Amino acid sequence: MEAKYRIAVDVGGTFMDLVLMDETTGAIKVEKIPSLADQLPSQFLKGLQSFNVHMDEIGRIFHGMTVGVNALLQERGARVGLITTKGFRDVLEIGRGGRQPVYDFVQKSPKPLVERFLRREVTERINFRGDVLTPLDLNELDQEVDYLLSQGVEAIAITFLHAYAHPAHEVAARDHIQARYPNIAISASHDIAAEWREYERTSTTVLNAFIQPVVKGYLEELQRKLTNANYTRPLAVMQSSGGVANVNTVANKPIRTLMSGPAGGVIGAKFLCAHLGYKNVICTDVGGTSYEVAIIEDGAILERSQTQIARRPILGSLIDVMSIGAGGGSIAWLDHRGGLQVGPQSAGATPGPVCFGTGGTEPTTTDAHLVLGRLDPTYFLGGRMTLDLAAAQKAIQDKIATPLGISLEKAAQGIVAIAETNMANAIRTKTVARGLDPREFVSLAYGGGGGLFACAVAEELEIPKVIVPVAPANFSAWGILTSDYVEDEVQTRVLPFDQEHIVETITTIDTLAERALDAVAGYGFARQDIELLRRVDLRFENQEYTLTIDLEPSWRDPSSILAGAREKFITAHQRLYGHGDPAANLEQVSLRCRAIGHVRAPDVAKISAPVKSTPNKHRMVYFDSANGAVETLIVERDTLAAGQKITGPAIIDEWTMTTVLPPGWVCVCDDYGNLILEPSGR
Amino acid sequence: MTKVDVVRAEIIRNRLVAVSEEMAKTLVRTAYNPLLYEVQDFSITIMSAAGDMWAETPGVIVFSQAFPEAIRNGIKRWNDNFEPGDVMIVNDPFETGTHISDTNLYMPAFHNGKLIAFCGIAAHWADIGGKSPGGWCPDTTDMFQEGMCFRHQKIVAAGKKNEALWDFICDNVRVPVIVKGDLEAQIAACQQGVARIQALCEKYGPDVVQASMDHVIAETDKSMRRAVSRMPAGEYGASIRLDSDGVNPDGEFLVCLKVTVMEDSIRFSLNGSSPTARGPINLPAPCTKGILASSIKGLLLPYDPCNAGHTMCLDYELPANTLINPSRPAPTDSYGYIVSSLMELMFRCFANIVPEHCPAGGFQLTGGFVTRTQPEHGKPFVMTDPVHGGNGATHDGDGPTNQIIGNGDLPTNPIEVMETRHPVLVEQLIYAAEMSGPGRFRGGNGVRKDYRFLEDHCYVALVTENTTDVTSKGVSNGENGIPGSFMINPGRADETAYTKRVASLGPFPQGTVLRVTTGGGGGWGSPHDRDPNLVLYDVRNGYIDAETAQKVYRVSVIEKNGTWAIDHSQTERLRAA
Repeated sequence: MEAKYRIAVDVGGTFMDLVLMDETTGAIKVEKIPSLADQLPSQFLKGLQSFNVHMDEIGRIFHGMTVGVNALLQERGARVGLITTKGFRDVLEIGRGGRQPVYDFVQKSPKPLVERFLRREVTERINFRGDVLTPLDLNELDQEVDYLLSQGVEAIAITFLHAYAHPAHEVAARDHIQARYPNIAISASHDIAAEWREYERTSTTVLNAFIQPVVKGYLEELQRKLTNANYTRPLAVMQSSGGVANVNTVANKPIRTLMSGPAGGVIGAKFLCAHLGYKNVICTDVGGTSYEVAIIEDGAILERSQTQIARRPILGSLIDVMSIGAGGGSIAWLDHRGGLQVGPQSAGATPGPVCFGTGGTEPTTTDAHLVLGRLDPTYFLGGRMTLDLAAAQKAIQDKIATPLGISLEKAAQGIVAIAETNMANAIRTKTVARGLDPREFVSLAYGGGGGLFACAVAEELEIPKVIVPVAPANFSAWGILTSDYVEDEVQTRVLPFDQEHIVETITTIDTLAERALDAVAGYGFARQDIELLRRVDLRFENQEYTLTIDLEPSWRDPSSILAGAREKFITAHQRLYGHGDPAANLEQVSLRCRAIGHVRAPDVAKISAPVKSTPNKHRMVYFDSANGAVETLIVERDTLAAGQKITGPAIIDEWTMTTVLPPGWVCVCDDYGNLILEPSGR
Repeated sequence: MTKVDVVRAEIIRNRLVAVSEEMAKTLVRTAYNPLLYEVQDFSITIMSAAGDMWAETPGVIVFSQAFPEAIRNGIKRWNDNFEPGDVMIVNDPFETGTHISDTNLYMPAFHNGKLIAFCGIAAHWADIGGKSPGGWCPDTTDMFQEGMCFRHQKIVAAGKKNEALWDFICDNVRVPVIVKGDLEAQIAACQQGVARIQALCEKYGPDVVQASMDHVIAETDKSMRRAVSRMPAGEYGASIRLDSDGVNPDGEFLVCLKVTVMEDSIRFSLNGSSPTARGPINLPAPCTKGILASSIKGLLLPYDPCNAGHTMCLDYELPANTLINPSRPAPTDSYGYIVSSLMELMFRCFANIVPEHCPAGGFQLTGGFVTRTQPEHGKPFVMTDPVHGGNGATHDGDGPTNQIIGNGDLPTNPIEVMETRHPVLVEQLIYAAEMSGPGRFRGGNGVRKDYRFLEDHCYVALVTENTTDVTSKGVSNGENGIPGSFMINPGRADETAYTKRVASLGPFPQGTVLRVTTGGGGGWGSPHDRDPNLVLYDVRNGYIDAETAQKVYRVSVIEKNGTWAIDHSQTERLRAA
């Protein structure tokens, strides 16, 4: 049967979000079911079936998963053994040192995921040029691997010094072990992250080994269940980089999926905003415990090449998402000075905000919004839940207002204001601090709490426009639908970036490009249809930190690459840091290639007539700018028609989100049902 | 006075901390000098027009507390004649508190013609002239041998570079490209900070900013005093003896600290400390005060961004012309040993008073620096590689292996990066677990690092201190950590061991191996009280052997079929003894 639908399944900690899209119209249906940790594959299937479409009509399924990151956060992965260069088994535990904050004199380092007696050394050595100084001793390798298996190891990580420069020893060791033990899972560092810095590469490789058996088992079961249900078309998994890869790739390199959750929303934002004609976008995702910011500049998502989870570093390209502890459940408290603080502690879903009446005792931002009248105690989640206003008032009065000697409303407003400035500071870190002007951006607000804070944060930063998309709480799942297939290749090769070395640079890039192209071609894309991005990490000679510079496809010959990349680097350095000598020597560090297999872009559906026609209501809502409570229009989002305009102050309610339109703002519902919020008079 | 809006005050305080963090990022990301981007040997300070600290981002916690004193001197020096776009430079150790290589730059922030604040950066330059490259001279006898001295000259005047001074600097340092790069980075970060503060004033008004920070500082002061009042009043004291001043091997180099905890204030008295040393281990008064202030701040309110309110309840008695309060032109280039010694003395005084924030003693700075400066022997290089060592154990856990405690955020150099940059091959990087002080909780392990020189004509400087009277003291019957040591060509016929500081060794030929072993941290509590399961873990992982488990920890651990297990009945017998 013809493939009529595309489905995204985004699995979170509490819920599984599913979005079904009609390939011809772009119309979507959403589902939300509990994500039961021990039966994810059957829940997945149940979710698919709830759409009531024939399996044959589904053309592709894209999956955002948290199996890997949960295994890591809960430290419930495989028993890993590490094979490394003689003399260096403690690299994983010594780490890079350093304490933050520096005044904390008793801070401890995280425990290594591989205990020392399972970190085994073999004789071998390669230098930074890739020359073999000491050959690999295979007999020793056999002994050490036998020992590890005798100790019950389920996965093996191999990290040899300078393997990024020359992987021969890692390849030989891997093949040798695999020949003797075909069933053991092996992660080799050059394959997981071909970048220098032995601790970071070892950490990345060990983490991959740690979660690999769990993720692989999960994906195999899922694939089996889908096959049994007669689904035989592609199943692809979202990666931290913002593209999908097929199940086999991810089963071997699950480390690439750790940030797949936040990635969905950002690529959705890129797609939607391109459709609406915006090139500069600040993406903000407000959940129960965190506020996540990502930036799209000139149509491109800002990325980074390293991150850390639970203080353990991970190398690899990923979307640069900054997360701070400010969400609906973030707790307000007074520090030792009596200074008002919000987060990072969160009441989460349990015990939850005080007003949920589920045992929470500490006032949260949700309680503050309720006290200010922005949430309707009788109509939370579209009437699915009643909130306890009196309990929220009492908590804020007792814990914040009375100790500070200010009114209840002032305290509630203060809680919201502190949360908002924390959010604004996060955006500043990613814009102002990088030489970008927020006034040239629009902000896209999604996640369950996005609409409550968006306008106030925009006001603080003078962001001229806020967009609240359709079904904002399911936006990340919708974003996954817009994804393409992506494969990244990287290699560290430190060389002067000059005429003398450029040929070698180009040769390395071409090799990486071939590998990335091959991988995407393997997903069934014709090579001529695959987009290729070439990047180089550059710095001034003597500097340590690099900037990643995109090489334009039109730059083919050495001199245009040298001149073009230099100009881009100098401009970026001056913009970011305020200085940069155009004539100084440059050095390259890592070379990167990305192959993209484009999936047909989905359509964005226009809205037809309003779903509902409930009459509007009014309520008293407190606004700081109005210096008190003012009569405020309450609108149900489902009643809006395309082109309809609302003047603030107003509250726009929908099932999963509440949007606050402050005095002095106007909101227009566009042809697609998105809310476009702007200060009036602009 | 404007009535302070407590919420807005908090917002302004947060903003200023964020501004200082942003300045730090710009400095680290664009600096040319590994001491800044790798060793984080810098600090960012934002101060009021009067020089009161509003916010800081420390790399090293000794600089910021001393910066206000330098600024106040600058205000006097210029008689308030600052202009927008000025950048001043000062590195006189008797004003900044540390050594001459730490060069402070600061820039005034104006709003509508009125001076509002200063943004300052103290940073260790790659070179400052003087008798040895890169500073940290082990054997100078006055400050003039240590390098060029600046006292608040305008390196940028009203936005215009002072070209004469700029040229003078470049003509007097060994690595002008790097120093220039760092200067640019420092100035760029200051300008960024000033622009942000101006934006803050634009939004809230300068009076509101000032009043809000006055409020924050007053509340912080009250909070510090409350924390002090929760401690038992009384006198606490400790002293430590340094090995040498680098020049005079026979002198006495004693640092004495007495802390008097009163109702809501603290007095530090350093009477009894030895006279100013002839060699460069002296620590000028601003930094002596600064490190004591930083220590007590960290012990009482560790998670709080620092401001002037953290130090108002403190008072000092520093006898003149001593190790901890020398007079110009005494040498100060190796000031850091006394800095760590003072912190360690603070830990000894407070370990049992605030055990939740205070570790046992940690290792003293240890490192082998490899250099080649004469170009006729090959490309010159300076490899400074501070190696991490054992920090003290705490009341609830083993000590970590980190950098010296006052310099917390100091990452190690990756081997793969170091080998790319310098002609050395690292042959091992491994825990030296035997250096750790035993205890109910063990001190952090030392580290052993072997470097093979791949080219000829390399020189070595060995950096260490407190090898006799150790910093790494155990607490509550925990044992001391063992101090670090060095070896040239271990295991060979010409093997030579070193335990003391050496200014220069060499030249050494290609193939020479330098081994650095850093010290371990002190233990906490008696080893006899260590959980036998932790002892089992230590044995299984080779941190201690079964014999040590039995002798030191009184735990019997035995091997059966390749797996280690506790012999419980034997352990009970041992522990009953």
